[in-house]
Amino acid sequence: MNKAITSIVVVGGGTAGWITAGRIAAMHCTEHSPISVTLVESATVPTVGVGEGTWPTMRSTLMKLGIRESDFIRECEASFKQGAKFAKWVDGSDDDFYYHPLVLPQGFGATDLAGHWQTKAFNIASKPSFSNAVCYQETICEHGLAPKTIRQAQYNGTANYAYHLDAGKFTQFLHKHCTSKLKVKHIYDDITSVKSAENGDIAAVVGKTTGEITGDLFIDCSGFQSLLLGQHYQVPFIGCEDVLFIDRALAVQVPYDTPDAPIATHTISTGQDAGWIWDIGLQQRRGVGYVYSSRHSNEEHALQRLADYVGPTFTQLSVKKIPIKSGRRSHFWHKNCVAVGLSAGFLEPLEASALVLVELSAQMIAEQLPACRSIMGNVAKRFNQTFDYRWDRIIDFLKLHYMLSKRTDSDFWIDNRRDESIPESLKEMLEIWRYHPPGDHDFTSNNEVFPAASYQYVLYGMGFETDTRFIEHRLKDSEFAMGQLQQNQHNIQQVLRTLPKHRDLLDKINQYGFQSI
Amino acid sequence: MAKIVALDPVTHRHTKIIAEQVEESGADLHMVPVVTSEFLKLVVHYPILFSKDAETGQFVCVALTGLQPGENLFWSDAAMQTLYTPLHITRQPFFLGQDDQTGENVICINESHPCVNQISGQALFAEEYGEIVATDTLKQAQGMLSQLLQGEKQTADLINKLLAKNLLTPLRLDITFENGQTSTLQGLYAVDEDKLARLSADDLFELHSESMLQTIYTHLASLGQIYNLIARKNKRNEQPNPWLKAAP
Repeated sequence: MNKAITSIVVVGGGTAGWITAGRIAAMHCTEHSPISVTLVESATVPTVGVGEGTWPTMRSTLMKLGIRESDFIRECEASFKQGAKFAKWVDGSDDDFYYHPLVLPQGFGATDLAGHWQTKAFNIASKPSFSNAVCYQETICEHGLAPKTIRQAQYNGTANYAYHLDAGKFTQFLHKHCTSKLKVKHIYDDITSVKSAENGDIAAVVGKTTGEITGDLFIDCSGFQSLLLGQHYQVPFIGCEDVLFIDRALAVQVPYDTPDAPIATHTISTGQDAGWIWDIGLQQRRGVGYVYSSRHSNEEHALQRLADYVGPTFTQLSVKKIPIKSGRRSHFWHKNCVAVGLSAGFLEPLEASALVLVELSAQMIAEQLPACRSIMGNVAKRFNQTFDYRWDRIIDFLKLHYMLSKRTDSDFWIDNRRDESIPESLKEMLEIWRYHPPGDHDFTSNNEVFPAASYQYVLYGMGFETDTRFIEHRLKDSEFAMGQLQQNQHNIQQVLRTLPKHRDLLDKINQYGFQSI
Repeated sequence: MAKIVALDPVTHRHTKIIAEQVEESGADLHMVPVVTSEFLKLVVHYPILFSKDAETGQFVCVALTGLQPGENLFWSDAAMQTLYTPLHITRQPFFLGQDDQTGENVICINESHPCVNQISGQALFAEEYGEIVATDTLKQAQGMLSQLLQGEKQTADLINKLLAKNLLTPLRLDITFENGQTSTLQGLYAVDEDKLARLSADDLFELHSESMLQTIYTHLASLGQIYNLIARKNKRNEQPNPWLKAAP
């Protein structure tokens, strides 16, 4: 019997659950719509709160949810993120760093600055870093400037930006918004069992106090336990610890020395002997953590590394220890159940991929919500293909950071360059990039998580060399390209003149807020 | 640098204001903050628009007096050549400040304003029967400040209403002058006439009952004065630089 899909049940009340419930409700629970969204949240299982870093996609997610940017920034202790600074990834020396900014290279699409930058014209001692040559955002970050002014409307900016946020506060904020503004029904209950229908679908989840909660589509946002997809359906977990070695995290919250201390406007990722330390500036505190490979280090040693990084205050901080299992389910949409968030899989937070995958999943489910049961299989197939591709690209992209390193000071870095640890798909790409800078044409899917520009920033930031010998005929527009490089230098001066300090803007947002136009 | 201090009958016993120099601080303003109670007078000269305060990002009402920063097209021969000059200029050198302890409004004076001195002009205080009293000059200034204070509240109410009803829209002015020069003005906003025309009867009644409807239409009517500014600019461009003319 073909049945309309009207009742959607989201299991889990972390960021994944609320973003997914919110996106579906915002799009489908309009006036007179038969569609309902119910979120069941355990009152006893705490949320993990992964990732305090986001991608610029978060701006459109918040807009689609009907959230005012000022409210979000005030209530989630959010700050602006304009990319990542990778320190000690190339050779581990003290002045070793590069940026992966969020603004595209100047003239991207109109000319190939990456190609020009590789040519002989740039074979000079004073050669600027790739990011500084083609983009003004490294300067903004190094000067601690905000991506916009208080006069610019919400979600608009001079420079492209994402956010750093307090995941716990973000969950509460979304909870309040989704239940008060978006008609998401909310139940506190622990799921004790799953009731199956004859066709193998989930007919209902059974709550300890509520009893049966029936639905047409179940969204598993239950976190690492993967209650529906993993436990109920036994969809296998595919680990990728042979590619990405990180399997432990130690996290601390570090208060600022003074209330008006500058706030970094980028994620700082500093390479260590068995992994890397993240450093994220929120309004009231920094989030700092060491993610490392337990095969290359041990907890005692890792704690010492983190203590060295944080400094004397470390002894007063409580350390949260999080085991990480890198990998993902073999597929994500099974029968009438789809997993979003940690229940689908997890990768180390190197490029803040966790929340962006949640957003992309929520968007695809909302946009392609099957109208009736008979077509759910088709939508599920599409969803699985799309996210299969996306997970693999993210794994490739993360691995790229490690395998290009020239560090020889520890086995962690040496092992990361071992041929057998590098996915074939990544090797193929690198072969091509030896002779062509990455371009949008390298990415055949329109479902890319990371654009070609991101690959350029990481490749050339890490010192990768592209041999332009055979594509010189395509670099004939050197006059235009030089003009674009000059334009970028002009832009750098412009942003230095006009943009306020990051903390000053956050203070103003707390006091006045942004206008909507 | 402005040196703004609380006005004090003892300290400022001998302070005088040169009336002819009061408006000098407006000489290079191309935008002047205004309040709604001035709209009916402003409309004789100026386009009235909305803009964002650079410090706070909050909307304010402004009268446009020039088409590029630093240019006041109404300023010539060391005076505003106008029938009406915005309060923000005529109330100089006085400001309203708040007492740190009581929070009450107190009158402040910008001692570094060119019109302030000890020698010539109108005194602020006089002695009557052994007591120091405010002169008419100061009373007039007090009147303007209280009009501004009240007006700022009404203006903020209007702006909040326009934002709540989503009636403001960005306005970008691309102007080509007769001599071929071009100028672009950004960061200005106006009421969206189409949206205003589509408002429900209830919304219109609400605006009317809060005395905002007339203000909105005055603002819209004032937009035609943009052509007044362009005409003034064209005229200014025609006049050869007097220094060049004097050269042999």
